[in-house]
Amino acid sequence: MTGSLSLTSAEARFAAGAKAPVAPSGSTQSNRLDTGGLIDRAAPLNFTFDGKAMTGFAGDTLASALVANGVRLVGRSFKYHRPRGILTAGSEEPNALVELRSGARREPNTKATTAELYQGLEALSQNRWPSLRYDVMSVNQLLSPIFVAGFYYKTFMWPAKFWEMIYEPAIRRAAGLGRSSGLADPDHYDKAWAHCDVLVVGSGPTGVSAALAAGRAGARVILAEEDSRAGGRLLSDGGEIGGMSSREWLANALAELSSLSNVRVMTRTAVFGVYDGGTYGALERVNDHVATPPEHEVRQRLWRIVAKRCVVAAGAIERPIVFSGNDRPGVMMASAVRTYIERFAALPGKRVALFTNNSDGWRTVEAALRAGVEISAVIDSRPGIPEELRAMAEVSGFRVFNGVVHDVRGGASGISRISVAQAKGTTVEIAADTLAMSGGWNPSVGLASHHRGRPTWRDDIAAFVPGECPPGMVVAGAANGDFSLGACLRAGHAAGIAAAAESGRTQKAGSPAAASDEALSITPLWHVEGKHKAFVDFQHDVTASDIALAQREGFESVEHLKRYTTLGMATDQGRNSNVTGLAIMAEVSGRTIPQTGTTIYRPPQVPVAIGALAGHHRDENFHSTRLTPSHRWAAERGATFVDTGLWKRAQWYPLPGEKDWLTSVDREVLTVRNGVGFCDVSTLGKIDVMGPDAGAFLDRVYINAFSSLGVGKARYGLMLREDGIVMDDGTTSRLAEDHYFLTTTTAKAGPVMQYLEYCRQVLWPELDVQLTSCTDQWAQFSIAGPKTRDLLREIVEPSEDLSNEGFPFMAVREVKLRGGVVARLFRISFSGEMAFEISVPARFGDALARNLMIAGKQFGVIPYGTEALGVMRIEKGHVAGPELNGTTTAGDLGLGKMASKKKDFVGRVLAAREGLVDPNRQVVVGLKPVDKARRLRSGAHTIPKGARPSPETDQGYVTSVCHSPMLGQWIGLGLVERGRERYGEIVRAHDPLRGEDYDVEICNPVFYDPEGGRQRG
Amino acid sequence: MADFTWTATSPLQHATRPRRHGAAVQQSGIVLSEVLDFSLVLILARRGQWSATAKAAKEFFGAEAPAKPLAVRGKTTTLFWSGADQFYALFPRVPAAQPLDGMREPFAAKASLSDQSDGRCLIQISGPKVRAMLAKLSSLDLDGSVFPVGAAAATSIDHSGVNLWRDTDAADGSPVYNVLVFTSFADSIWHTILDSSAEYGVEVVRPHALDEKPSS
Repeated sequence: MTGSLSLTSAEARFAAGAKAPVAPSGSTQSNRLDTGGLIDRAAPLNFTFDGKAMTGFAGDTLASALVANGVRLVGRSFKYHRPRGILTAGSEEPNALVELRSGARREPNTKATTAELYQGLEALSQNRWPSLRYDVMSVNQLLSPIFVAGFYYKTFMWPAKFWEMIYEPAIRRAAGLGRSSGLADPDHYDKAWAHCDVLVVGSGPTGVSAALAAGRAGARVILAEEDSRAGGRLLSDGGEIGGMSSREWLANALAELSSLSNVRVMTRTAVFGVYDGGTYGALERVNDHVATPPEHEVRQRLWRIVAKRCVVAAGAIERPIVFSGNDRPGVMMASAVRTYIERFAALPGKRVALFTNNSDGWRTVEAALRAGVEISAVIDSRPGIPEELRAMAEVSGFRVFNGVVHDVRGGASGISRISVAQAKGTTVEIAADTLAMSGGWNPSVGLASHHRGRPTWRDDIAAFVPGECPPGMVVAGAANGDFSLGACLRAGHAAGIAAAAESGRTQKAGSPAAASDEALSITPLWHVEGKHKAFVDFQHDVTASDIALAQREGFESVEHLKRYTTLGMATDQGRNSNVTGLAIMAEVSGRTIPQTGTTIYRPPQVPVAIGALAGHHRDENFHSTRLTPSHRWAAERGATFVDTGLWKRAQWYPLPGEKDWLTSVDREVLTVRNGVGFCDVSTLGKIDVMGPDAGAFLDRVYINAFSSLGVGKARYGLMLREDGIVMDDGTTSRLAEDHYFLTTTTAKAGPVMQYLEYCRQVLWPELDVQLTSCTDQWAQFSIAGPKTRDLLREIVEPSEDLSNEGFPFMAVREVKLRGGVVARLFRISFSGEMAFEISVPARFGDALARNLMIAGKQFGVIPYGTEALGVMRIEKGHVAGPELNGTTTAGDLGLGKMASKKKDFVGRVLAAREGLVDPNRQVVVGLKPVDKARRLRSGAHTIPKGARPSPETDQGYVTSVCHSPMLGQWIGLGLVERGRERYGEIVRAHDPLRGEDYDVEICNPVFYDPEGGRQRG
Repeated sequence: MADFTWTATSPLQHATRPRRHGAAVQQSGIVLSEVLDFSLVLILARRGQWSATAKAAKEFFGAEAPAKPLAVRGKTTTLFWSGADQFYALFPRVPAAQPLDGMREPFAAKASLSDQSDGRCLIQISGPKVRAMLAKLSSLDLDGSVFPVGAAAATSIDHSGVNLWRDTDAADGSPVYNVLVFTSFADSIWHTILDSSAEYGVEVVRPHALDEKPSS
């Protein structure tokens, strides 16, 4: 039997029905019902799709508005560029992906099914050229023999160098998804924490029932719903609960939930991942439903929800059946057809056929009939179609076939006919513009499987249900394979009570609402053999024959199948396709579905924008910053700042007319060496080491002794890691018998504090020592240069003796400053000059900088930055970060003699290892180019003269360089093999990175004032 | 000889001038202020000296030394927990006196003392939306049932360590939280708080002393 089936009597009856679609005048909504649905007809909205103006209503999604406008073709597929229509009504949508918005807000791959309609919405179809209807790349279909499973691996194997230059760009152009804007995202995102006793994921009948029960029991509840509206399938499936319509029950339940102060309902919030310790990731789409977020509001917010218990009531996803042409526009999930009709009052078509292997699909027929839509036929593949369904068909005047759909005809604008192979052997052609399909339901097992619990197979529902759940989680309702409304309400209620009780909340929770217990009747049908392409994964164009091919080629494991065919790797993450794909694999490999197994489920369950993960941490807020006490003053003087870890430090202070940084830095160095200057060194780590055993403690962490240090004295100290490598250095002063003031390098302030706490708490709990960071308490400045004392005499009370006798090198004490402030004065020098460090409580740091300028005015004082500081330490051969680089020993740094032989200290034993005392080790030396005009560069390697540069002849490298205004040339420090024995030797500085090669002389690292007279004078 | 004036400055000095910021709303969701002129001393009990330290604290400050995450108010001093065997004493600054003056003697051989008066800035946050805002900055559960008045925590904001404790509620019934931050981070954290508060509308009120209520 061929030809269209005439159902004129039914047509006539429904044509007379009051609910037939009516396009309001001026409206483009040809497929909109004039009553019903959860839309606001009083709030019409204008939008465009591919530039065409259309209207919809508040409450619509973009997809439902397109359905109401009679749009069937919405996109082109990824590989074959096949025309595609809307398949689903939820976040699993594989086809209806659009570019939303324009300009910097352009957002590719947005699901039309979850994008809420707003006034002025602009959407473009993607992956087509020049237009959606006439897409040049659809010729790919003709080449389909080469676009089979493993296509990338087979086609682009050789030559390898072609991949980056030719293959990948070509593939991306032809097969790309949407285009990103390429501009900075103008919107803001943030992150927040939430805490509750019970997190309920999903607000369908199960979730609402669970939230009600837990909320009544007194638990702090968060009910998270990814949709803009709570209710889940209750919004689409009708039915009765507790003697009222399910919608009425839902409204009452939501009203009760909002009356409970301990319950928080979060709509537009998708829980996407399950992490350790009961932490859940969720994405709230705060302002995706408007054109632009209101000022000061964020676009999206990432939630970290900490829950004692979690009830997953995430429902189930209806799965397609694989048959020829199952991807044509007009073929839609049966549940989606229901949703468009019931929730959105939008008709996906006017002549609807149903292809189902289960009882649930028939509910679409009921919904369509209620809406006055013609049912052209129902094709039910189950061997025994229940009598009551046949009776309904009889009454309603449509035909029922026991068989399968084996082909679909139609073009880009949608299907026109379907071919049915009846179980009895004959074929029927049926005219239909819409084919609703239902292959059964897959419980949403993703969240339950995020801790590697494997889903388990249930034959009775032909689906996987969650296996072992993460700690604290239970799954209830459809997500657990309970598909009847009554069972969902009971399961949710029980789970809610149990979760509340486990959180210690046990008030009365009432009893669950009652509803019907109609069980799902299903006879599995995965794949109908046919002549044409039958799609398993719509978004990645994976067909049934691709899976068979993968099996033949040995890619039988589901993980191999996934990677070889790209099944389940699209943005829908296989939610429409995975189970069907592995069922087909089971079929062709002769195994059962549970034997075939599932791939691993990983977060995120739904796509999460990188912007949301970054939250506030972008641009100037990328990380927090630390400012020194003199920051504002330095900024006023026009200082250039450099990021040093989190700190902003003044790098140099340019004066008007100075042409470059080198001019400024040279001037700063010369001014200090000839007069006086000061530098904010507050960033150095400062630690109060206190208690009766403080000295003994420091003896163990430093290689040199500190218990013998007199009160009022400072000493340079070096500490090693346990492996004998240098960890950090700094000056430590003894302020009282039981109080040392320890300093670290800026970079290691945090790690050293952490390490000392570890030593105190874990290594030597017997020592009575207390530690705390006081880095931020003190504003500390280094004052250096021959006129330092002159400057200090201006600002320090005249009674204080600053003479060499009264305040010798390495002395420390409190002094009174003029005006009443008490300061600590340390006679230490990093620059090699006569120098003091002065510190005052941080609130006086700004005033101290200003007052030092006043006190030093007559001596020509200047502030200097970290560059000049660096120049002066290199001129003096003082090691710093580039030399304390995690590979050097005390001996390498020339500080081996500091190590005490009278005591034990961390790192002592391992520092004596053969390799660490090898005389051939690279040690710190000075380096200067033979050609004095030559610039020395860090990172250049030292190679013996005459040797060919190679790893074998490499003898070291340049670690620190500067232009020395004192020597009038570039100088540096380096690590060179046996360097201290080679002063005067000329070697090559080989710098392949910069293409340079020049001669340098190895020399004593102390370039300036090697006797040290200046700092002691 | 030149004259020297020693003006104390806070790193928040330029950020805390009174103003409204963010969403234009009838009632600001967030009320933000800096607390000035306090002394802050970290008291670390020496080995085996916790009881003696607590006793000394009780005598000196008239408040119970907190052995767990609490903030305890004495007449002028708040003692708040900051870790095992250690707590802070926060009290109004006495001009021209060193905070440790007078403390050394009663705590001698019992506890080590570290003056942190300049090492921290104190930010006070209140307003009807304060919990929603702090949920962006802190991983703590600040619900009233979990974090009542007097609860304290040593925690972090924006990866920087802070001490946070809940003060008595504001006149409008909003909870009041004290956030003690490292001085060098204060400017950065203040701006993060301001950004996080913008959607609720912020009222920055003038800096005030410890024993003063914030007012605009």
